[in-house]
Amino acid sequence: MLNTADFYHVLRIDQTSNSLREEIKEHCHTDIEMCLECGKCSGGCSNAHIFDITPRKIIQLIKVGEEAKLLKMDALWSCVACQLCVDRCPSSINIPRIMDYLREKAYSQGVPASRPNVELFHELMLNNIKRFGRVPEALLSVEFNIRSKQYTKDAEMGMKMFFKGKLNPIPARIKNIKQVQRMFRDIPAQREG
Amino acid sequence: MNNSEKTALIIGGGLAGLEAANKIGGAGYKAILVEKEEQLGGIMKQLYGSFPRWDNPRELVDQKVKMAQENPNVTMKTNTTVKSAHKKDQTFVVELSNNEQMEFDAVVLATGFDFYDASQYGEYGYGAFDNVLTALEFEAKLKEMESWDKEDLPQVVAFFKCVGSRDRSKGYPYCSKICCMFTAKEAGLMKDLNPDAKCFVFYMDYRAAGKEYEEFARSVMEDKHVRYVRGRPAKVLPENGKLMVRAEDTLMGVPVEVAADMIVLANAMIPAESTIELAGIFGAKIDQYGFIDYIPGHPTQTGDRVFFAGGCGFPVESLGAQYQGAAAAADVIALFTQD
Amino acid sequence: MNVAYYPGCSLHGLAKEYGISVEVACKHLGINLKEIEDWNCCGATAAHSLNHELTISLSARNLAIARDMKMNKVLAPCAGCFSRLKGASYELRNNKALAAEVGEIIQAEPPVEPEVNNLLQFIMEEQGIDALRAKVVKPLQGLKLAAYYGCLLTRPKEVVQFDDPEQPVSMDLILQALGAEPVVWAHKAECCGGGYAASDTDIVIDLSGQILESAQIAGADAIVVACPMCGVNLDTRQEAIAAKKGKKYDLPIIYLTQLMGIAFGYSPAQLGLKRHLNSPFPLLQSKGLL
Repeated sequence: MLNTADFYHVLRIDQTSNSLREEIKEHCHTDIEMCLECGKCSGGCSNAHIFDITPRKIIQLIKVGEEAKLLKMDALWSCVACQLCVDRCPSSINIPRIMDYLREKAYSQGVPASRPNVELFHELMLNNIKRFGRVPEALLSVEFNIRSKQYTKDAEMGMKMFFKGKLNPIPARIKNIKQVQRMFRDIPAQREG
Repeated sequence: MNNSEKTALIIGGGLAGLEAANKIGGAGYKAILVEKEEQLGGIMKQLYGSFPRWDNPRELVDQKVKMAQENPNVTMKTNTTVKSAHKKDQTFVVELSNNEQMEFDAVVLATGFDFYDASQYGEYGYGAFDNVLTALEFEAKLKEMESWDKEDLPQVVAFFKCVGSRDRSKGYPYCSKICCMFTAKEAGLMKDLNPDAKCFVFYMDYRAAGKEYEEFARSVMEDKHVRYVRGRPAKVLPENGKLMVRAEDTLMGVPVEVAADMIVLANAMIPAESTIELAGIFGAKIDQYGFIDYIPGHPTQTGDRVFFAGGCGFPVESLGAQYQGAAAAADVIALFTQD
Repeated sequence: MNVAYYPGCSLHGLAKEYGISVEVACKHLGINLKEIEDWNCCGATAAHSLNHELTISLSARNLAIARDMKMNKVLAPCAGCFSRLKGASYELRNNKALAAEVGEIIQAEPPVEPEVNNLLQFIMEEQGIDALRAKVVKPLQGLKLAAYYGCLLTRPKEVVQFDDPEQPVSMDLILQALGAEPVVWAHKAECCGGGYAASDTDIVIDLSGQILESAQIAGADAIVVACPMCGVNLDTRQEAIAAKKGKKYDLPIIYLTQLMGIAFGYSPAQLGLKRHLNSPFPLLQSKGLL
């Protein structure tokens, strides 16, 4: 999570690097130099009101190569990927893809997520996919509650949902699970809690 | 052939076309002006106010029309378009929509511009919600509002700039040049009608490059108290009879909202389809967007004996349209004098 | 007609009633759903959040199986799954280097076909409004409904290429054809909070709360959804939202295919209508539809 103190210094912009911008252009196929600095991305952003850094500022920080700030920002873990920004951007800058790219980078470098539960949920979900090929929703939510130490979270609602037949307690495994597991081979093993 | 028998065809009876016709006629040559609408004066005739001197735009148009009417060399044909044309030596043989066939020694294209279809911005709700107007519709609304009771006037009006311009995603990449100024004017006129109204102009930049323009825009902010918010609006959400505008104030870097009664969209000026068609008929050059393009070194000329003026070349304000009309006329006159 | 069917995890679990009603409605419309054999999870928010190649690979395998089943269209009723499959198909078409890598990972020719449709697009393009109207036996008269599209049925527009992403109309037209009255409302394409239901519930309570509020202001009797995430968020979090705002919404959240089923004359049991936390029964009974 970034706060105003993170910006209380003079930034020597002549000494900053272009490499992040170039990296993003290569991997995300989107050119942040097309940004008109209009703020339309941030004005309609579903969660800008809780972001530490609005999307427009994210683009600006990429321009000046402030990678360390970007990798620890809270917006990475509170972006709902609703695609409003990219659709409204007058230059079609693919901000959701940039957010994915930066999050993936932060995750692979082990930068602590500002919302550890969000990261944990993603990890558990991927573990389940690796194990079963599909997501057993009931098992996942129980696992998540235990691992995030929220033992009673949604317990009452969970019971209601169980009786409504919404939670399927038996995980189904797909036949060709090996094929799915192959997709995980280049992915660092999930951190065990 | 007597030079004074030389005849120019002026297509379009807006401010640029009227200026060209008046100057060509004034020099002693014949000028036939055709206008596809019933009324002369083009966009200017539909405006409630003008910048940068708050002049009455209809008076300006009426003055130009009167000059043309009083000039025996100028003939104006409204409800008339060009059907076809072909070149015969140095003349154009033109068939008009009234089936008249006439010969011309030069042509001035002054067909003006169209407006970008604001309904393509679904996020602004034009066509979906009431009280979201285009800038031109708002000019008519201003006239209408003159007779309203004060309590019926909108209390909060939001103006959005760059709707369809400076947008490579669903509009045109260019800046359509005059929206900053007419938006300042419209917001100022709203404040004149109802000084208690709050007017917000959402802007990405404000561009006021012209004689008296910066002073005009500043006076709208400082003397008429129109609030400028730097940020391009993202979405309009109707809520309890109001239109909730969501944007980012990019100076503060925070999301802001305005509960507006009325929203005015400065939709871009774009090439008119009829211009592209006419360019084909007369061999005029067209740029990448569909505006008339000039021959390098000849800023009012676009083909052999074909000239242009006004918004068919690029969005232009009223003074510029008159300059261009006069400049195209000067070229026509010079050509006729040499013939 | 035959179409490859990708139910995804939720239509077998949290949103079983969506899965059941999709099958009922499609059968009634003469559509043969051929479930993609041995399909795997699309990876949802987790995969695209943490690994781009993984998210594309997961969808590529499903698309490759559908292609090998000789299907030229995939129906993915879950908006999240649809977005992953459609997005992967777009990337595989436009990013040759990535396509080659993914082909190596899934050990198959990277699939550029078949075409992926969400439910709205599929109904509009494969059935059409008139054909749909002709099948209605019990018009949904008197129902004022807020058609809720959320994010991923129409966005990003470059990839989806369907309907207006800001003022979508397809679901409104479908509801009209069923005899209901869609309301004009503000939040039809705003976000419900998507995949944060469990991991950061406050986000869902905030965003879904705005949607419930807007639907209520517009005078809707219920909200209609075509996405299990939207459906589950708006239904299961409604109580918490109401508690937070200190007011009642009483807005049943109904899947579009359940309403199609009712209009086609099917019974509540056949459509899983008892599975909602906010029961649609009182509303549907009051309108004489059950």
